[in-house]
Amino acid sequence: MNASCTECGAGIAVPEDAIVGEIISCKDCSSEYEVAEISNGSVMLKPAEQVGEDWGE
Amino acid sequence: MKVSITFDRLRWEEKALKDAAGSVGLQAELVDVKGLVFEVPKRPAELADLALQRCISHYRSLLVSQAMEGAGVHVINSYAVAEVCSNKLATSIALAKAGVPTPRTFLTLTSDAVEPAAEKLGFPLVLKPFTGSWGRMVTIVRDKETLQSLIEYKEELANPLEHMYYMQEFIKRPPRDIRAIVAGDAIVACVHRYAPPGEWRTNIARGGTSKAFKPDAELKETVLKAAEAVGGGVLGVDAMESSSGYMVHAVNNTVEFKGAQSAVDFDIPARIMHYVARSAKR
Repeated sequence: MNASCTECGAGIAVPEDAIVGEIISCKDCSSEYEVAEISNGSVMLKPAEQVGEDWGE
Repeated sequence: MKVSITFDRLRWEEKALKDAAGSVGLQAELVDVKGLVFEVPKRPAELADLALQRCISHYRSLLVSQAMEGAGVHVINSYAVAEVCSNKLATSIALAKAGVPTPRTFLTLTSDAVEPAAEKLGFPLVLKPFTGSWGRMVTIVRDKETLQSLIEYKEELANPLEHMYYMQEFIKRPPRDIRAIVAGDAIVACVHRYAPPGEWRTNIARGGTSKAFKPDAELKETVLKAAEAVGGGVLGVDAMESSSGYMVHAVNNTVEFKGAQSAVDFDIPARIMHYVARSAKR
């Protein structure tokens, strides 16, 4: 499945077994996206949340 | 039985836990809490009666655990455990009360009281935030001047929690610490975490590396006692090798185990899900 990076415009190849919620990185600029929706073989990405101060284990 | 694996950022760990569920007779579903709507105290339709809580955000983790328990969901780990583990002061109290060796710890409620506390601790000391993980903002303070500068910086920050101070003695240890992954009354895996070059903190999130080892009897006892002290569940117990024996310095509520998995030849998520399945039957 293919998408494109809204930051740098590069193509992003999303693995066929990706699932909603998964984080995908742009290989060119490292921007992170979250898989928002998969339907009929097409994928929709949204910008992933930035690391929060309260993130961790 | 169905289990919801609740998350807010889907990491390798959550996917691996879902994949392992089938092997222990559980039917797991990944549930993104970012889309959940709780009409308190009801259970959102997306959630099963059993949940393995895996949020990466501390505050989401606490609130979703509380909301799920309020809705009658059996949550692993419980809200009470999440609360103790996510607050370093609460963890220190729980460990000390249970007789688990842990570094000397001081709390002060103002910057004025830091100096007398530092005099009791001596330098170097370790200054830590009350909440937080991955070694973030954990600082070795080697002298009084540096401590004064740090206080000045912290007092300028807006968060009132930054104006209170949690300090621990600095433990002389090898350039590694210990991460034990615990599920119930069993140690699932034990690894040494080595600090990366130029870093004293050993967190995998900071570039640390893992090497598996077999814990001795003293370590096993210390780790399991620490896990029990915070209320038990699926936990990451962090310990150090001090000159007087093992010391526990943290217990993690949403343990990451990708680093540990790379160091062992058995299936950590399967062992964790085995515990989840056993807990559900109780």
